[in-house]
Amino acid sequence: MKYKFKKIFAVISLFLLTTSFAVAETYVRYEQDGKTSWGELKGAIIHQLSAAPYLQGSPTGKTVERSDVKLMAPVDPKDVYMTGFNYEDHIPEDQKTTPYPGLFMVPAGTLIGPEDDIIHPVDSDIIGYEAESVIVIGKRAKDVSVEDASDYIFGVTAGNDVSARDWIPADIQWFRGKGAAGFNSVGPVLQTGLDYKNLNLTARLNGEVRQRGNTSKMIHNFDEMVSYISKYFVLNPGDLIWSGTIGTSETLHVGDIYEVEIEGVGILTNKVIQGK
Amino acid sequence: MKIKSTVAGIIAALTIVGTASAENYVRYEQNGMVSWGELVGSTIHQLSDAPYLDGARTGTSVEKVDVIMKAPIDPKLSFMTAFNYSSHKKETFGITQDTTKKPGLFTVPVGSIIGPEDDMVRPVGATNFHYEAEMVVVIGKKAENVSLEDAGDYIFGVTIGNDGSERDWQANDIQWTRAKGSNNFNPVGPHLVTGLDYTDLDIEGRHNGVKSQGANSSGMIFNFNYMVHYISKYFTLEPGDVIWSGTMGDTGPMQPGDTYEITVEGIGTLKSTLVQGK
Repeated sequence: MKYKFKKIFAVISLFLLTTSFAVAETYVRYEQDGKTSWGELKGAIIHQLSAAPYLQGSPTGKTVERSDVKLMAPVDPKDVYMTGFNYEDHIPEDQKTTPYPGLFMVPAGTLIGPEDDIIHPVDSDIIGYEAESVIVIGKRAKDVSVEDASDYIFGVTAGNDVSARDWIPADIQWFRGKGAAGFNSVGPVLQTGLDYKNLNLTARLNGEVRQRGNTSKMIHNFDEMVSYISKYFVLNPGDLIWSGTIGTSETLHVGDIYEVEIEGVGILTNKVIQGK
Repeated sequence: MKIKSTVAGIIAALTIVGTASAENYVRYEQNGMVSWGELVGSTIHQLSDAPYLDGARTGTSVEKVDVIMKAPIDPKLSFMTAFNYSSHKKETFGITQDTTKKPGLFTVPVGSIIGPEDDMVRPVGATNFHYEAEMVVVIGKKAENVSLEDAGDYIFGVTIGNDGSERDWQANDIQWTRAKGSNNFNPVGPHLVTGLDYTDLDIEGRHNGVKSQGANSSGMIFNFNYMVHYISKYFTLEPGDVIWSGTMGDTGPMQPGDTYEITVEGIGTLKSTLVQGK
């Protein structure tokens, strides 16, 4: 009798373990010999995929050691949506807000990877960090309800929405201040199977904690964001939605290192270099 | 008599030169397939690719009336410019920033772009939908840190656009993304034309047939060459990307069923009807 219970327990544990392994997968994009590929990361080995995982990419049979390649941003979107003022602790007292998300866009060309440097433009006097969580859309979304929204979310990664603090008020729109080339790092991996509505995020400037939060505190959570955006725009597989940042964003100087850590995703680390 | 024939000869010569440099490109749908083509008279000669990607004639041709005309652009990025004619008053929009020192740049998702035969859609919840007559240039080659002097080399051609805008959303939202870039807000066409002097083109907009907007692109505060120079400092422009001029004068609200026509010399007329979304 005792033995039987043990056996059942073992079978159940094995089943749960297998299930969770099947659901939580880790994807990367990497460059090798000048060619960029998608891959699935298992331990220290990348298994190459024929296409993006959300486009049904399948293993090609080729593998490579992670340490032998350059990791790129684990995303390849057409459109990049961001959210302003989506955590209470990031809203200044005099800031205008709306009952719906403070949506804006940056060009996909602004994205850089976990092994790239953040570029401090010559003609900005002050850039700041913004730790965020980022979701990747898994399938075409148009007029999606909040209830169904999770079916359209493929996975989660970490992002740093570097912002030129002097350009934002001076320009008519935030576009340049938020989306200039080299401003938005993403990575290191794209992770599926996480509860993106309850993820801890910690960010460090030169090793010191500066930002800390949990996605459960987002004013408009990712399901609501997908539903809202899909009312007005068509979301395509691969498109990104950024959470908005938490707490206070401070200045990044040339040479600084900023790390964004999300549980289950890992640490996105980038150095700031001077642009020309 | 001799003078007359000389004049006729010069006109003929000019016409030939003009025709040689000014090509009309279209994008069209036939049997569910979208192709690029070169429009000569009423006939479309199919191209193997976008003309700015060195698409060549495939040998297949079709009559324009037998196909659906699509937006004659296929960009990754659609850059727009706010308050780029002094006649379009920023004060109306509560804008306090200086708009004469640098362009008021923003972007809309390319999914908002529709063609010359599509309807503009006023979404549910929108009540203050305005027209905005604009010119749109298409980038011909990758542009990064391009000087003002060289910018002309990066502009492939010019077409017409209507930057449909929901003014209440524009006033109330934190940014203009939804107000300017929702699905079916931005018709473009009918043709993409090369060989035009895009710094000196007349444009006119007509609401239900009545003239409501007009200008010449020489009145742009930042002309298209400057826009290419400015944008390429911060972003990489790829072949096919588009830059909108910004609109002129006052704009007005459109109701479902209204039409808006925009005519630009050398290009033609883009006519769109507004319908109510569901």
